[in-house]
Order: sequence, then structure tokens, then C-alpha cells
Amino acid sequence: MTLLVADLRAFVAAVRKELRQVRRYPTLLLSILFWPVLLPTAWVLMGRAYSGNDPQALEAFAQRAGSPQVAGFVFVGYAMYMWLSTLLWGPGTALRTEQVRGSLEAVFLTPASRLVPLFGPGAANILPASLNFVVMGVALWLLFGFVPTFQATLWTLVIIVLGVPAMYAIGALFAASVLRFGEVGPVVQLVRGIFVLACGITFPVAMLPGWAQVSAWLLPPTYIVEDIRRVLLQGAGPADVTEHVILVLAMAVITAAAAAMVFRALETSARRTGMLSRF
Amino acid sequence: MTAPAVETKDLVKVFERGRRTIWQRLRREPDRRERFSAVDGIDLRVETGEIFGLLGPNGAGKTTTMKMLATLLIPTSGSIRVLGIDPLERPRDVRARLGAMLSGERSLYWKLTARENLEYFAALYHVSPNQTRARIERALAAVNLSDRADDYVERYSTGMRQRLALARALLPDPPLVILDEPTVGLDPQASRDLRDRVRELRAQGRTVLLTTHYMEEADQLCDRVAIIDHGRIVALDTPAALKRTIRAEEVVHLELGIDGDDRTVLEHLGRMATVARSERTNGTLAVTAHCASARDFVPAAFDAARSAGATIRHVEVVPVTLEDVFLSLTGRALRE
Ligand SMILES: Nc1ncnc2c1ncn2[C@@H]1O[C@H](COP(=O)(O)OP(=O)(O)OP(=O)(O)O)[C@@H](O)[C@H]1O
Ligand SMILES: [Mg+2]
Repeated sequence: MTLLVADLRAFVAAVRKELRQVRRYPTLLLSILFWPVLLPTAWVLMGRAYSGNDPQALEAFAQRAGSPQVAGFVFVGYAMYMWLSTLLWGPGTALRTEQVRGSLEAVFLTPASRLVPLFGPGAANILPASLNFVVMGVALWLLFGFVPTFQATLWTLVIIVLGVPAMYAIGALFAASVLRFGEVGPVVQLVRGIFVLACGITFPVAMLPGWAQVSAWLLPPTYIVEDIRRVLLQGAGPADVTEHVILVLAMAVITAAAAAMVFRALETSARRTGMLSRF
Repeated sequence: MTAPAVETKDLVKVFERGRRTIWQRLRREPDRRERFSAVDGIDLRVETGEIFGLLGPNGAGKTTTMKMLATLLIPTSGSIRVLGIDPLERPRDVRARLGAMLSGERSLYWKLTARENLEYFAALYHVSPNQTRARIERALAAVNLSDRADDYVERYSTGMRQRLALARALLPDPPLVILDEPTVGLDPQASRDLRDRVRELRAQGRTVLLTTHYMEEADQLCDRVAIIDHGRIVALDTPAALKRTIRAEEVVHLELGIDGDDRTVLEHLGRMATVARSERTNGTLAVTAHCASARDFVPAAFDAARSAGATIRHVEVVPVTLEDVFLSLTGRALRE
């Protein structure tokens, strides 16, 4: 029991250390303000150019997307994209940097649980990610005059919070795998690209071919995006999304377990081959 | 009787050289990687309270040995006891009691202050919250960094970072400290300073096991030294006893200018002293000779050179060092 307490304290220390480091790279904050507004706005304008605000075109969109709110649709998708980006870059880069410079080895010298360095960096990225949501909400209101009801906002927040473990676990799984591949950048681009295509970030999942739709529904972000759109844009209530939320939580457990397993396998292999720090 | 601080029996670590591509794996081709023993049967016994040194050239297997003690590597075979504990069976217990400094300054967080670094690692070492402050202060004081504790590590000198890495190793208040090349890359002043810190550790009753490829360091700092080469211990004793194994009082380095064959002159010199090493580069012959008295040997060497048609360009007389011990054991210099 005391061991668990000690490890929890180590975990808190890891998050704190990570936050301190993030705070000292202030350019990161700039990207939190800039990209979340710029990218989705470009898509919305593009959509407007195509439709020419033709009611028939908007109707076609509403049919597939479930709501005529183009701006809201795209912004919700992009919020997910930004969140995912933060969780892929943050923990992946943090763990990889530690590996390269040798501090991961120093961490492995301590009796702390291996879950601490694995999940610590992700926790630190939740704060900047949640800032993203605020910024995008404000932009949606100021640029496109979209104001959701209080209820819808509340349920959106609940879905986001309950989705945190799943997103967080994806970040950890990614970070653990990155240790094996070595490079963070190209792998982030690839994985992020897959998510953009599969999870209905800028277009409805219904536009995908059948087999791709099946795999899309194996990825937690697909559900989270879909559910947020339902409550925010289509006026759905909590009962309509409960099933999804439970599913996403279950996926979080599985993903987190997979991350821990990959990390453990990597450590064991490193202890055999001595390749922890050299790739 | 207490258990020795470190004990290894027939410790072996086999590595694979080269790489096996995914393609080869997929096609299930036989593994053609060359296997070699980086550590090849090491028996060590480090007693409580001593400073024990592993001295050896690059690639001798020092780091590999340390990593096995520190639970970072799993041995291929052999047994290890660290403070009486088997690191294979109870790695977490070993980690909790061992202060290890392996990768040094680079393994710190440069964007944090020294204190913030230590706070993080104190938590990882499971130091209880009410002890953390005191533990950190003590570790900082032990490496003379108390007054710079709140500076960012990126503003530190290499020597300071190395000392901070040592402070981190002291956080668990370890009875045993292992240091891998603690002074590598430091200027002489900083090295001396770090060696003083290590001596203080012994004075506090801790056992220190360190590796080095600086023979002066092993000589000045260590109570006992194991000379290690190609993964094997080739000699193990106190520095003084090791130097006594060379039957010579003094070592003479000669540099001769010579045109023709150097066999005659080496033969002449060999009659008066032990030629430990000779190296010919074009018209220059460098000789290291072990002799009883340089005052007798050097004039005789001049005569011998003249009669063989060579000229002595440079003479240097030095006391016997561990370098000479290594040379006489392996026929090679420590640093090549
Ligand atoms: N992970 C590894 N995989 C394959 N070979 C390795 C690995 N680690 C070390 N070696 C090899 O094992 C041998 C011993 O290496 P080691 O790092 O233990 O030497 P060392 O005595 O610490 O040398 P140095 O003074 O250069 O630090 C070297 O030939 C090295 O190339
Ligand atoms: Mg080494």
C-alpha cells in the first residue's frame, strides 16, 4: 500500500516536472492560440465557397452530417484533431527526448513504477489541450456567431472529460511505440493523418467506404467527435450518447493496458540488448 | 559477518554485433549476427566501505558491468548480489538502495533548476515527503552546489552538472554508490574536486564502486583496483601492490632517431632493462623501458644507441604507474 502511495507521489512529481518544462517553452502557447482558429476557419470558408450558400448544397450536407451547422461541424472535428495532436506530440516527444539524452535511463534506475514515466508526460498535456477547446469555442462564437445552449455546452464538457482517459491512453501508446521507431515527427504525421481520415474530423464518417467506416468505429476519437456533434449541433441528450461513452471508456482501458505492455516489452528488450539509449 | 557490498560470480554479458533487418526476420533467415562477450566471466567482491575501481580501456566492458549491477541490463549468465540482494529477483529493492551515476550530466533536465531536478528524482526514489527537503539539502551540500541550487541546469558548467548527477545518486541515501566514469570530460580542477567528493562518500561510510580509464584516478582514489580488459579481470589488488608486480623502480620513455633496422638497439636496451613497449614510426622509435635505476640506465642507453647508429632525441623518466601495469599485462597502452 505504501508503495502505491509512493508511486502516486512520483506520478504527481512527474506531471509537475513536465508542466514546469512545458511552461518554459512559451512558443508552445502561441501554437495553442493560432492553429486551432486558423485551420478550421480555412475549411469552413472552403465549404462556403463550394456551396455558395445554396440551400440545396446545405441540405445535402445536413443529410450526411446530421446538422446544417457547417462551422460547428468543422470546429468540433478540429478540436478533436488539435487535442489528438497535442497528445501525440507531447508525450511522444517528451519520452523520446528522455530516451535520447539518457534521463529515461536515470528514471529506470529508480524504484518508481514504469507507469510513471509512461503516463506522466500525457497528463501535462491535458491542460494545454483544454485551452484549445476554450479558444475554439470563443472563435466559433466571434467568427461565425455560433452559440450553443448552456445544456449542450455542459454535456459537451462531460463527453470531453469522460473522453480524456481514452485520448490520454492513445498518447501513451503512441509514446511507447515511438521509443521503438526512434523518430517522432514522421510517425506523428502518419498517425495523425490516419485519424483525420478515419475519425470524421473535417467530413462525415458516412463519406468513407464501408471497410474504412468499420475501422473508424474502432477508434475512440470517432465516437467522441460524433457525440459532441450530436449534443452540440443536433440537440441530443445524455441518454443518446451513454452507450458510446461507456464504449470509449472501455477502449481507454484496453489502450492503456496496451501502452503499458508495449512499454514493458521495450524495457525488457532494452535490458537484454542494452539498446535503451542507442537506436 | 555482513555481505560484501557487491559480489559477482562468473558474470557474462553477450551482445550481438551488427543488425538483423525486418526482411531477414520475416523470411526467417538464420541469425547471422556475430555474438561476443562484452563481459566475459567477471568475479568481483567489493567490501563495505572501500572505494573500488574498475580500470580499463575503451570497450573493456566497464559500463556493461555497471549496468548489470544497476538492473539496467540482464546478464547472460552468472550471478550478482548487490548489498546481498539479487537484482534479477528483486530489482526494485536494489534500485531503492543503490545510488548510481551512469550517464552523467546529459541525463538531467536542463530546463529545470538543480533543486527541481532533485525534487523530481526524490519522488521517483520514493523519499518520503517529510524527508525530501533535508535529503535534497544534504545531497546538494555533499557536492558543493547549495548556493547554485536554484539556477537552471542549462547555465551550469559541465563539472557542476556532473556533480548534480552525483547529488541525484545520493538521494536514496545509498550505502553503495556506483559511478561510471565520473570525471570523463572534466578539466583537471573539476576532476580533482569530484574526486574529493567521492572520498567524502567513503568517509561517510558508503561503499563506492567506480570505473575509469584514467590510471591516475584509479591510483589516487581507489583502495583497490581491478584492471579489466576484453571483459575479463586481468589483475586485482591495491594500486601499490599492482605497481609492485612490475619489477622496476622507474620507467624511462625514450625517443630515438634511427634510419636502419631497430633490432640491434632494442636488443642492447633489453639487456639493461625490460622493454615494455616499442613503436616505430618512420625514422622515430619510441621505447618504454622498466628499469631499477634510471641514473644507471639512461647513460648506458645513450651508449647503446650510439653503437647501433641511432640518436636519442628525448628522454623522460617517470615513476611506475598503473599504465605500466596494464602495459605489462596486455602489451597495449590504456589509451590507444
Ligand atoms: N547494447 C550493446 N549492443 C552491442 N554491443 C554493445 C552494447 N553495449 C556495449 N557494447 C559493446 O560491448 C563492449 C563493451 O562496452 P562497454 O560500454 O561496457 O565498454 P566500456 O569499458 O564502458 O568502454 P568505455 O571506456 O568506452 O566507456 C564494446 O565493444 C561495446 O561496443
Ligand atoms: Mg563506458
